[in-house]
Amino acid sequence: MNNVNDIITQELRAFASSLLESGEVSAFLGFAHGSLPMTTRPFVAKTPEDAQKLVWNSFCVLNLANYLPALLKSIEPPRGPKDPPPEGPLPKAGVIATGCWSRNIVVQTQENQVDRSRLVIAGVSSRGMVDRKKVLKALDGKEITKIEEKDHDLIVEADGAIKELNRWSVTRDNCQSCVHSSAVVFDHWIGPKLDDRQAPNRFKQIEDIEKMTADERWAWFSKEIETCIRCYACRNACPLCYCETCFVDDSNPQWVGKSIEKADAAIFHLLRAFHCAGRCTDCGACESACPMGIRMRLLTKKLEKDVFELFGDEAGMDASKPLTMTTYKLEDPQGFIFEPKHGQKKE
Amino acid sequence: MKTIFLNEKELLALLASWCETFDVYAPNDGKGEDAACSVIGWGKIASKEEFYGVLPDKIAKGVHKTSIKPFFFPQPETLVTFTSDNKPCAPLANTVGQKRLILGVRPCDARSVMLNAMPYRDDPYYQANQNKTVLVGVGCNEKAITCFCEKTGGSPLGTDGLDILITTLGTGFALEALTNQGDELLGSQGAALDEALLAEFTKRRESFAADAQKANSTPSLKGKDLMSLYQSKIWQDLSQSCINCGACTFLCPTCYCFDIQDEAIRKDKGSSNACACGTGGCACDAPSVRRIRYWDSCMFPLFTKHASGHNPRGTKEHRVRNRFMHKLKYFPDRFGALSCVGCGRCIRECPVNIDIREVMTTLLAVD
Amino acid sequence: MTENSFEPKIIAFLCNWCSYAGADLAGVSRFQYPSNIRIVRVPCSGRISPPMLFSALKQGADGILVSGCHPGDCHYISGNLFARRRFALFKNLLEFAGIEPGRVNFTWVSASEGERFADVVSQVTEAVRQLGPFNRF
Repeated sequence: MNNVNDIITQELRAFASSLLESGEVSAFLGFAHGSLPMTTRPFVAKTPEDAQKLVWNSFCVLNLANYLPALLKSIEPPRGPKDPPPEGPLPKAGVIATGCWSRNIVVQTQENQVDRSRLVIAGVSSRGMVDRKKVLKALDGKEITKIEEKDHDLIVEADGAIKELNRWSVTRDNCQSCVHSSAVVFDHWIGPKLDDRQAPNRFKQIEDIEKMTADERWAWFSKEIETCIRCYACRNACPLCYCETCFVDDSNPQWVGKSIEKADAAIFHLLRAFHCAGRCTDCGACESACPMGIRMRLLTKKLEKDVFELFGDEAGMDASKPLTMTTYKLEDPQGFIFEPKHGQKKE
Repeated sequence: MKTIFLNEKELLALLASWCETFDVYAPNDGKGEDAACSVIGWGKIASKEEFYGVLPDKIAKGVHKTSIKPFFFPQPETLVTFTSDNKPCAPLANTVGQKRLILGVRPCDARSVMLNAMPYRDDPYYQANQNKTVLVGVGCNEKAITCFCEKTGGSPLGTDGLDILITTLGTGFALEALTNQGDELLGSQGAALDEALLAEFTKRRESFAADAQKANSTPSLKGKDLMSLYQSKIWQDLSQSCINCGACTFLCPTCYCFDIQDEAIRKDKGSSNACACGTGGCACDAPSVRRIRYWDSCMFPLFTKHASGHNPRGTKEHRVRNRFMHKLKYFPDRFGALSCVGCGRCIRECPVNIDIREVMTTLLAVD
Repeated sequence: MTENSFEPKIIAFLCNWCSYAGADLAGVSRFQYPSNIRIVRVPCSGRISPPMLFSALKQGADGILVSGCHPGDCHYISGNLFARRRFALFKNLLEFAGIEPGRVNFTWVSASEGERFADVVSQVTEAVRQLGPFNRF
């Protein structure tokens, strides 16, 4: 019982079941085992018995904050659209949160999507989640039938053969460049608490692309999105996406075409990413959810880099600061503004 | 219909000979772009080296990442084009393009083409796409962990929808003609199966067929009462983790829902959309419009939203229920077979691991 | 097609209070500028959202010019300051994805800067002409 994940799982189950037992929360959001190796499924425990199904491992790749607005609504007593809210405090929900998820909860609080006072956050330090595409690649695409997780290694069984992989080498790109791996807001701590990570260069992936020429970048981007099937898994896995009507569904005017042709796919991805500007915490859920393996996270990472470098902001780190795009400073950089050379106009 | 036996060299020669009359497509990694067709994960092949990679014993077990659905139900499909000056710009439906042959199709995927043809019985576009396509299947010797074709009425050596089925057998390949067209394609190549091989081949097929019959859950699902399934409490739990993306429906070979809209096409020089009809060679220069049919998904709220703003499937729970009920109840009640072929793509790629096999089990347990 | 015979189509989004008036002044003062721009008048540069710019590009624009009031001069006090943050990130994102830097341009032109407007339009037109037709999508 010295495996970190087992310790966290045990503590989590105990904490969740005590909250549910005492009635402090009506639901606890976490992950349960999936039906295939390397999968987990988001799971809402409503009884102390349910809480025993909660698990913690390196495959919790989705962002639980995504479920919170709907979950909080679902546990409120039923009422008609015009009925006043019930008197007294509304029921609470518990949730486990890593650094990025907790930052998303902060963003959701800032945007009035969740009520912090109705959440009991079990903070945890993420040790980086595993990218199953990387594991598949490491096994040359062989079918993985079983995977066992140790603290620093993964024992993978694929087509009869057993292979040991270094866990960190197959963690997601966003986890490898993460600096805030521990929850920034929490009510209770689960498992060992890690300090902020010192990622050598968190924007290296972005800088490598920035060094390319415009044509090379376009070639890279076109290649990246060419297999997009427009299933919107990236959008729906994102805790920042909660609009009633998404821009892709607007029909009058219609901003984005519906096909998977290059123009439509490119506009979709660029706009989706841009909507996350100043709010994205690089949780990587979009990329993990993508069935086609598109690395659309690089676009939001680029925005994260610019937001950090131009405006000094990191989303979700401080609930008292306004979100980047909802504020301004008179001295904001404006090097991008076109300055005409005076008197050089033609004719 | 004949069944012949070929060794690897003979098979390669036969495949190469098909290239002369057909555009031949096979599984690949990216997006095979050519003028006639661009389907993600399937590309046109021409050289012998490429054929080598798609030989039946070289293809990875289980299904390819994406299905062959877009060959028959393109995303998007141009139904009609017209211009502001009322001159028709392009030839419309029923264009008989180059005949094409798709290689390396798994029996489940082939079966999906047959199943989709039921609701698309009167659809000239689907029919045209089907008529110009020859399907050469590859039988499965082993199952991937997400495979469950036998539960849906299929079989790893199933023949539904195929023209030819290739099975690895002994030191070579058995090629089984299943339609007249398939029979013609095999020509006078190769020898018939000898007795030992034939016995093995028959035995394998029969044992699969027996398994499939035992496992097939179609009759039991059809026997269930529709309303008790519909009103069951299971949907709330099932839909809890769903994020309502369309990954399952878009990867599914048997999901065929669509929407239609008109799009203005910009036609100035240098544009990749130089012409609405896609032929690029037409003389039209008026601003033109194409009417496209593109994939839609019952997972999206917009799918059922009325102009009034009312949405009869307004919640996630309703939409999840519809997807499974359509596949496992409405479609079988109407057409006799499940609208699921057991390829397992939705299980493999669902971001939250919703497993249709578990749903089937749960539904079967509802009284 | 030779480089010089290409006439780019440039969509200019101008704010009502400064840049549109600046364009007006350029006309009244008879400053010459190329006829390649098509002006869309918007209430404020803060009104312009990225989907509008994409629509223009998708429907055949070769270049885009967005112009608002100088910082501090916004008729609505801060619309252009919000816009500035938005465009700073948006322009970088476009370039990151491989759209050429000169395709989409942002500038400030006040109601009294007719000449600046003419300069901007001339120079943006020339830059887009050099880039050639927009055929990314």
